[in-house]
Amino acid sequence: MLLVVTYSQAARQTLRNVCNGHDEAVVQRFGRAVLLEATELGAFLALRLREKHASDVQIERTEAFNEFEDAPEEVRDAATAYEDRAHPSTPYTKFAVGTDHPAPDTMRDAELAGDTDR
Amino acid sequence: MRVELAGEVRTGRVVDLRDTSVDFDASAVVGAIRGDGPRAGDGPARPLAIDCPVPGPAHEHVGAIRTGMGLSLRPALADAARTRGHTPTQADELAAVRDRLSALDPPEIDLRSARRRVAETSDDAEELRERVAALRGRVQALRDAGDESGPAEAELASATRELSEVETERIAAEQALSRARNRAAENRERRRERLRLADRADNLCRDAREELARAVRPTFEDARQAVPTDSESPVSTALAVAHVADLDAPVVVGSGVDAFADGERLSEWFDAPVVRL
Repeated sequence: MLLVVTYSQAARQTLRNVCNGHDEAVVQRFGRAVLLEATELGAFLALRLREKHASDVQIERTEAFNEFEDAPEEVRDAATAYEDRAHPSTPYTKFAVGTDHPAPDTMRDAELAGDTDR
Repeated sequence: MRVELAGEVRTGRVVDLRDTSVDFDASAVVGAIRGDGPRAGDGPARPLAIDCPVPGPAHEHVGAIRTGMGLSLRPALADAARTRGHTPTQADELAAVRDRLSALDPPEIDLRSARRRVAETSDDAEELRERVAALRGRVQALRDAGDESGPAEAELASATRELSEVETERIAAEQALSRARNRAAENRERRRERLRLADRADNLCRDAREELARAVRPTFEDARQAVPTDSESPVSTALAVAHVADLDAPVVVGSGVDAFADGERLSEWFDAPVVRL
């Protein structure tokens, strides 16, 4: 899909107008952002916004996320284990100490495979 | 007030333009009161010049009262309250937010050329890879057949060199785009802040307008009762707002407004000069 985020009142208003006029290309609206279908029409609408509002419009292409392909096993396991923790108040950092689960700092600097840049 | 029309000067608290040969349009008269366009003495191109005090904020709403006029009551009352010296409690915060807004001026960052370069170098590299593969196949086939493969080998060597150059260029283009994207992300943080402040300023303005309008509403309701017409029309509303506001500049009153007998009574009601059309 195409993610379009706006950064000014004028761009946000144009985004609303565009979405109102082209429901068929809109997957989901989030106020000042929208997910558009990855179709030529979606691209056309996103590019129109950028033509009109330049740097006040951000366009990104999203991909489906398959955790079994995209996320390492230890990260998947850590998420499962943490959500199954005994004490809801335990922060993850503390939870991970003394276990095989990766520390937040380690994960923070580890890019996902296939992700070129953000 | 001093009104200059083609070759004639009229002065006084009330100036009646209904007997002139020119049919003046209310917005043209308001323009002359606000000093828009050329000044008096600019020559015959200007049919009307009015020398009077500078209009305040309420004049925008009730500076011209005529049948068919539009009026947004709350903003009009808010500006009337301002002319009476009311200051909204939001004033300080609003000023602070506006200061921060004007200090935020994120530069334009255009990544278009960086994106285009990545796309073009990728295409070039793809094309060359295909060409190198085809040449390799040809060289192999010539060798297998025992034919002269020298020229084809030279062509392959040159294509391989070219491919490595293009690959280098592609990597450089991708790195440049990646750096530009990081700059754009920082830039967008400032834009996001600017948007947040703009929304905040709008909300404060709206709250201030509501508060100011509330401050003069009782006075306004009394004035509306005192207007000698029993309608809720914009004209009656505007007459009441004009009574509440502290107006210095003349009020233009169009034809069809017959709430008061004459210009003098209107002028007393407004406590301001009147131009009748």
